[in-house]
Amino acid sequence: MILIPVTYKGGIYRHDEVTDLIEDLGGYIVQKHVLAQEVVLQCFVPQDDVELIQEVSRPLMGEVTPSPLVGTEIAVVSMSLEIHHLPHPSCDIAEYVRRLGAKSNMVGLARGPGKRIATLNDEERDVINEHDVALFLLGNFETCIKKKFPVLRRGINVPIILVGGPDRETLETIIDPPVDGYVGNTGRFMHRTKESEEIAKLDEIVAEITRVLEKRRLEIAKDPLSVSPARLMDLIREKVPDILDVTSPTPLTVQMAGLRVKLPYDTYAADIRDLEIEDGVLVNDVARVLPSRMRDYILVRIKPFSETNIVV
Amino acid sequence: MDAVEYFEVECPEAQGGENYKRIMNVVLLDHNLIRVIRKIDVFINPEIPLFVAVGATGKIPSMVRVRDFANVNVQENKVTLAIADETYLAPLLKILWEKYGGDKVEQPDRFTVIIYTQNADMHEIEELPVKDPSESIYKDIIYALRCIAPEGFRVRREVFKDGKFYFAASEDTLPENIGTLIADRFRKIGEAMP
Repeated sequence: MILIPVTYKGGIYRHDEVTDLIEDLGGYIVQKHVLAQEVVLQCFVPQDDVELIQEVSRPLMGEVTPSPLVGTEIAVVSMSLEIHHLPHPSCDIAEYVRRLGAKSNMVGLARGPGKRIATLNDEERDVINEHDVALFLLGNFETCIKKKFPVLRRGINVPIILVGGPDRETLETIIDPPVDGYVGNTGRFMHRTKESEEIAKLDEIVAEITRVLEKRRLEIAKDPLSVSPARLMDLIREKVPDILDVTSPTPLTVQMAGLRVKLPYDTYAADIRDLEIEDGVLVNDVARVLPSRMRDYILVRIKPFSETNIVV
Repeated sequence: MDAVEYFEVECPEAQGGENYKRIMNVVLLDHNLIRVIRKIDVFINPEIPLFVAVGATGKIPSMVRVRDFANVNVQENKVTLAIADETYLAPLLKILWEKYGGDKVEQPDRFTVIIYTQNADMHEIEELPVKDPSESIYKDIIYALRCIAPEGFRVRREVFKDGKFYFAASEDTLPENIGTLIADRFRKIGEAMP
């Protein structure tokens, strides 16, 4: 069964019928937002059943749209959290990808600014490496990007998308070895992105992220994961009730090949390792439960089939 | 924008320069400085690296008095001020407390101030100076230029004198010939270096 990420938008009235249907079909709800009279569900549903969900939600005036960013965690790396970059463009971009279903985290570097003095410390590097993709937001000058980017990318092993002021072709020529994605003409600016061409630029960033993530999805498909991250999320939500008391917006953050559990590692890691998924297969058999560098959270990295010879 | 006579950005990277011109425009507008600044010239060279801004201010907004933002109503043993704009309320209250004493000044709600005093002169209260915007203009301009300058340019030299200002910033030590460079930029906008 192939699960695809979709967003459901509809009224709050009878929306439980849709949630029940998705669960009955074997889909998973990653995030649920209730905004006044409206419900937004970000979920994974079986590819063949999208039409059925559309049919059921039609009388409820619900809308089902594919959203490839659901179930991904994106690091938006800003050179600092100073007025120079915030709230525009860092927040604008982070918020835009969040609206389309991704979980975006803003990473403000402690010593990011400057050409010669820019560096990346080990904590920043590790935090960025815990994401599915890193979006580096750089400035307006070609000279600076060329000089500082090799330092900033050191040790980053997740796909990188470079966003900068010079145009795309220039970025492609000055970055060596190449990174996974480029978006040009979006450097530092100090105004809100609200005009249509600026929104188009944000769409271009999303398209680039989608392209990079699709490539990664294809790679994963060649050596599938031993368990789907969404299934693991459901399991933890069911078996570790303490997660329901966590107040952060996404207590369980689904990634492409893992899961971030926002519970203290020392207290809960052993419990999570010993959870039984199915027929005696434990979480520990199919995944690594690691301490995250983000606060004291738990990071679950799911092993591929080639390592475990199990698919549950 | 018509208030600014001279507004230029010079940069070896054309596109970067264009972006900085836009940033400059937005920041000066956001800080309400576009009406204050008469001329501004910016030179950026990311290779050195160096950021130099020179310029001159025009007419600085005049002193804000009570009549500009409040309606004064004098009665027999009290004066009522109806505040139209709260922006200057805090400095006004401070002045009134000092002049009449804290127990004589009452503020029953956000937009009303009552002063208990005998035979007050309406004209005197109306003309009471509350805030001089030119005091903070220097700080405002330098703050705005710090926002405009590329981040990480932490070595700075800033001067504001006789309605003219300059601001040089770099990531490294400022070059030795910075003085002549700034003088050149001033010559370009047709002003003498302060």
